[in-house]
Amino acid sequence: MIELILIFPLIAGIILLFTKTVKLNIFFVLSYAILHLFISLYCSFNNNYKDITSNIFDTYFKVDNLNVLFLLILSIIFLGVAIYNCGFVKNKEMHRHDLKYYSLAVLIFVFSMTGTILSTNLGLSWVFIEATTLASAYLIYFNKTKHSIEAAWKYVFICSIGIALAFVGIIFLSIATGKFDSLFFDDLYTNASVINPFWLKLSFVFILVGIGTKMGLAPVHFWLPDAHSEAPSPISALLSAALLNSAFLIILKVFKLMELTHTDHYARILLITMGLLSLFVAAVFIYNINNYKRMLAYSSIENMGIIAIGTAVGGLGIYAALFHMIGHSLIKSSFFLTAGNILKIFKTKRISAISGVLKIDKTTGWLWILCFIGIVGLPPSPLFISEFLLLKALVIKNHFIIVSVILILLTVILFGIAKIAINMSFGEEKGITTGKNEISDKPELTFSLYFPQIAMIIIALILGIYIPPFLNSLIKNAISGF
Amino acid sequence: MENALIVLFGLTMLYMAGTSRIKAYIKMLSVQGFLLFLICYFGVEKNNLMNFIFLAFETLIIKTFAIPMFLRKILQKNLIYRDSEPHIPQFYCLVLASTILFIGFLISYIDYPAFSLINPMYFGVSISVIIISLFLITVRHKVLTNVIGFITMENGIFLLSLSVAKEMPIVVSLGVLLDVFIAVFILGLLINRISERFEDLSVCRLSDLKDCKNND
Repeated sequence: MIELILIFPLIAGIILLFTKTVKLNIFFVLSYAILHLFISLYCSFNNNYKDITSNIFDTYFKVDNLNVLFLLILSIIFLGVAIYNCGFVKNKEMHRHDLKYYSLAVLIFVFSMTGTILSTNLGLSWVFIEATTLASAYLIYFNKTKHSIEAAWKYVFICSIGIALAFVGIIFLSIATGKFDSLFFDDLYTNASVINPFWLKLSFVFILVGIGTKMGLAPVHFWLPDAHSEAPSPISALLSAALLNSAFLIILKVFKLMELTHTDHYARILLITMGLLSLFVAAVFIYNINNYKRMLAYSSIENMGIIAIGTAVGGLGIYAALFHMIGHSLIKSSFFLTAGNILKIFKTKRISAISGVLKIDKTTGWLWILCFIGIVGLPPSPLFISEFLLLKALVIKNHFIIVSVILILLTVILFGIAKIAINMSFGEEKGITTGKNEISDKPELTFSLYFPQIAMIIIALILGIYIPPFLNSLIKNAISGF
Repeated sequence: MENALIVLFGLTMLYMAGTSRIKAYIKMLSVQGFLLFLICYFGVEKNNLMNFIFLAFETLIIKTFAIPMFLRKILQKNLIYRDSEPHIPQFYCLVLASTILFIGFLISYIDYPAFSLINPMYFGVSISVIIISLFLITVRHKVLTNVIGFITMENGIFLLSLSVAKEMPIVVSLGVLLDVFIAVFILGLLINRISERFEDLSVCRLSDLKDCKNND
């Protein structure tokens, strides 16, 4: 069954290449999203994964306890983005060719993320994660301005080098495997006892730095703010809420191998260091930032840092990390989509040029405030629960210094985002300083530009109050191997 | 024989560190590709014919001809010939690159039990090539030379993967080749766009996106 979500985008892509119908573009993206959600829901409700896979794909692609959660998140985010996309494409008046390549790139981008999540071989995961870079390069370049060229260049170049380093790590891992010759995760886990720890440790460093580049962890995050702020808003949402997770899955899988070979202490130190550094970088830059899409990008770095710390703490921490990931994906994608609406209304990304969003467009304003409450982790938000659980896990293990550092940094970030979000939403409506556009020519926003955000933020806020048993068991199954 | 070829491969990096003409870089890329083909020919066991054909295709067709030809096209289109005034003078570049190569040799011959799993010659040279490439990327100004640094780095990684003497599934190696090729292709297309929009092809121009006050 899962082969459908891998074959559909390829066939749809080929059809798109050779046809000229404009409507087909939107139709294919939307139908792929629906198919994706349908299959991943089927997989997550069906606990016996054996009968889902067929023989041809069985060797290389498999649904298991861990990746089904990631698949589900990707599907939900993708459906939201695809619905938003309908309105986005209509409003933007793009050339037919541009639209064609845009839809094609979206299809391949999601296809390669799905491949990353489902692949059972570390080498194949590498191939797909590099493919995500290449597919999304066009999407980041899409606006064809000077800035978007710069962002795309940095994105492709930095990520390609990072991922090349990850490949060095994979080669080291295959040196570490010694006699048995396989990079399939299952083989690695069962033969964990014979793996050479020296080479394994070395390979983890390279894989963490390499794939961490895609995940947006701190010392190697430089592409992230540029790419997220220059890409069209639906793409920013996909990048932030889905791509970073897929990269995280690879790190998580290799981390599991480290645990099985009892070299995890070393891995934990590395993950905590990178996580804290991410929080620090985010706090420093968010405090004094002038571009709201960049602010959201830095907030993604912060949340990836929290997820990395949660993974490193282990036990309750991993539960917190996965729950945090779900919450972050839902809230951050709706935040980015709402940012897209604001960009459409005000035509600037400069924070100082915007105020009184609530007065100009009530729905967007409220969405902006709700997303802000969600992302900083104020109580009804699921991030509050996950951050609380993470701190609890740290306290249980007596890491008081780390707890206090995290709390201070989170407070700084809360202050930074709150200052910006509140200034933008409330206050007097401002004619835009550049003078080019008056509020009177406010574009008509269709319903599809609001609906996905509303749905996702409601789901997220409900998760903050009540975690359904189905989701709880999904997360518990996912962390059962750790 | 193969050891001599590997040393030659390492020496191409020294030549790259010491020169500033972009045409010479591209020529060296071809030489590297051909050397890698010879290393495959003499070094890899040929009991798996399919795998050998694939390696020959990758080194001989892609690395020796396709990529250098593509880069030469970009060069002609954008009329840049030299990467003058690097951040560090050429001479020091050369000294540093030779030191890295030397250290690479030294490290791989350390008597450490874990090192028994590798072929020291392959390992030392390939790691040095990767590090020298990263170093050259940081010193050079032009976007095109950065891409060339990326390709030499990929060549180093290719040599490293030969040292393991284990085969990845053909699906994976095909995917890796495809990815690298497309990455170079996309970077090349972006170079053309950069030269249309920016004054010259210097990396320093690509510094508009910052978190400072005047940026929107």
